[in-house]
Amino acid sequence: MDTTTELRKFSANLDSLEQIREFLTGLAIKLGLDKGRTYKLCLAVDEIATNIINYGYLKSGITDGMIYVMLRSGKEMLTVIIEDTAIPFNPFENKIPGEDELALPLEERPIGGLGIMLAKENVDEFRYEFENGKNRNIFCVNLR
Amino acid sequence: MNVNITTNEDSIIITVEGSIDSKTAGDLQSQIMGTVAETNNVLLDLSGVSYVSSAGLRVLLMIYRQIKSKNGKVILVGVSEEIRDVMSMTGFINFFEITDSIENALNSF
Repeated sequence: MDTTTELRKFSANLDSLEQIREFLTGLAIKLGLDKGRTYKLCLAVDEIATNIINYGYLKSGITDGMIYVMLRSGKEMLTVIIEDTAIPFNPFENKIPGEDELALPLEERPIGGLGIMLAKENVDEFRYEFENGKNRNIFCVNLR
Repeated sequence: MNVNITTNEDSIIITVEGSIDSKTAGDLQSQIMGTVAETNNVLLDLSGVSYVSSAGLRVLLMIYRQIKSKNGKVILVGVSEEIRDVMSMTGFINFFEITDSIENALNSF
């Protein structure tokens, strides 16, 4: 089978964001994803990883948390799964800005919600699961 | 991320290099907002910026609000295609002038 799986763990602090992006960029480019879509995948993962670090772990006082990043690639699809053991955080329960809000002048724009919107819009599929005490965010990009 | 600020008579040039993510956006904000408060026009040179997340967009929003309240202008230079995409997806793109050279930007203040 033509499948690649790579797993790496990162400390749940903001210094890891750049390392996660570098890890994913290196693999995605090697697997043939173009620069633009690689950027979008990194952006989607980065936004969710930021929430996990800031809200899942640090705000609940956990300073030694970990984030597990797995990249799996087959012929049709590249999948990134990130897992953490922070408090349950379902990104789909967060309000994201609708078209009416996005059309508002920047002076009147509410500040929140953009990160989760960017996560959803920059990959072909984005899912969330909570199982056995773990948050699992799943990002899929079609390779064809 | 590195930040450099040049102050002119009626504008400032902020040059940023590196990534603007949740780790660095706070630093960027604290390094520039004091100077932004003292000018009417901001030229933000992003030629050396490879990545902007929503945290970076929030800094753009703050610069925009500060300058807009003084009827000034914010002009961006050197915005990569990827960053442009993020700005249009979030409806930010229409509020900023984007040009391809510092010279053009300075002429339009």
